[in-house]
Amino acid sequence: MRLRRIGVPADVAGRRLLADRDGWVVNCLFYLIVSGVLSALWRAAAGDGDIAGYSAAALTWYIVTAEAATCALSIRLIEEVGDEIGSGAVAVEMLRPVPVIVVRLVAEVGRGVARLATLLGPGVALAWLVVGPPPSAAGAVLAVPALVLALAANLCLQHAMAAAAFWLRDTRAMWFLYQKLVFILGGMLLPLEVLPDVLRDVAMVLPFMTMAYVPARLAAGHVEPVLLLVQVGWLVVLAAAAALAFARGQQRLQVVGG
Amino acid sequence: MSTRTTAVLRSAFADAAARRSAFWTQIAAMIVNDVAWVAFWLIFFNRVSSVRGWDADRVLLLFAVLTTSAGLVLGLLSNCRRIPTLVEDGSLDEVLALPVAPLPHLLVRRVDTVNLGDVAFGVVLFAVSGHPTGQRLLVFVAGSLASAVLLTGFLVLTGSLVFVNGGGRAGDLGLHSVLLLASYPADVFTGATKALLYTAVPAAFVSAVPARLIDDFTVSDALMLLGAACLFATLGWAAFTAGLRRYTSGSSWGRG
Repeated sequence: MRLRRIGVPADVAGRRLLADRDGWVVNCLFYLIVSGVLSALWRAAAGDGDIAGYSAAALTWYIVTAEAATCALSIRLIEEVGDEIGSGAVAVEMLRPVPVIVVRLVAEVGRGVARLATLLGPGVALAWLVVGPPPSAAGAVLAVPALVLALAANLCLQHAMAAAAFWLRDTRAMWFLYQKLVFILGGMLLPLEVLPDVLRDVAMVLPFMTMAYVPARLAAGHVEPVLLLVQVGWLVVLAAAAALAFARGQQRLQVVGG
Repeated sequence: MSTRTTAVLRSAFADAAARRSAFWTQIAAMIVNDVAWVAFWLIFFNRVSSVRGWDADRVLLLFAVLTTSAGLVLGLLSNCRRIPTLVEDGSLDEVLALPVAPLPHLLVRRVDTVNLGDVAFGVVLFAVSGHPTGQRLLVFVAGSLASAVLLTGFLVLTGSLVFVNGGGRAGDLGLHSVLLLASYPADVFTGATKALLYTAVPAAFVSAVPARLIDDFTVSDALMLLGAACLFATLGWAAFTAGLRRYTSGSSWGRG
């Protein structure tokens, strides 16, 4: 019964997103433009050969998947959550009988999965149209749960970072830096194998790789189910970090007036 | 620029700079953002020596032009991206009540410090990687200014669609599309997409054409850039002026 109640924010957030048709259509168009641009760049670079073990077709599927994983979330989420903490608006959520972080994460996952559903169809159509079917059907199937895990891990880390607002009050510049880490160390713009050796080794042990690289590598035809276990491991760590940061931060929160 | 417009711009800049710690934090954040893009291109060209005639040097030149011109537009003329919001929430009424030309006043009324970091970055990037000489510097400055004029016109044009369709989504999509497409060499694209970059979404003129001019100046390219800048500036002005004729106040005083 309680579990069902916890699922309500996800359901409501997902339905709200789908009801805003103009919003998700524009988001979808933007996703297609980004994916089209980046895949054109990588296809031009790869030509008939391959780059770091990825053919032009694999790179196209990689980009379409990596972009879906990141475009499914609000780019400025850290700033939005940080603003609500900094302004004290989060205090209202503390009145609920469920921890603030749980409600927030569940709602954001609901919104993210709904947005992902709107992106995947056009994204798959784009890649299929340009380079044909995915390099491996098994890889493509594994990429679906990996995308959901990628969203969840990304949301947990963004909330853990946004919780800094309990101490700093302002996290506005932080989303910029976070976004760039996901861009490069997360493999959103390029497969991690393309990075110089040292940087690649560093990226492989950081959580950002779970947020774009893992689902994208699977979709690009590298059938490596162990990557899903890596995602689950990081998800547990990041969820614990977000919960701890919020629990500590809420004890410090003081709201005057309102 | 008229004295009144300059005075408004000066006060908008003073207002932004008054919040000193936020000012520097935001500028630093934008510079880090730009450094990440440069890192991406360096990593990319470390693997691939060149793509359709574009190598690391030329792409950094493209990026220098883009950050300079986009920084000028989104920093000093920041309201050009907010026209839909200003129209929807009725903030336009305050400008219409003043005895000044509405568009120039509106454009200079707000300064976004975060984008001024882009301008600083673009200039430094050109100085470091653009092999500056007297002629190259001149073309860089002129090309960036032409690009800024074109970008302003395009953003005003797409933002003014709010007068017709009543929503700001087209303006948002226009802004993000043109900046995104301008971040990559236009020659990566082929066929209809490439044609689009030289026409409806003029991203090629925002960055690729000025960068090409710096490396390899031709009168025909220069005239084409100048023509495109004039065309989009005129279209933006015309769309905003035509939109004002359709405008009815959306301010909170007039509602309900």
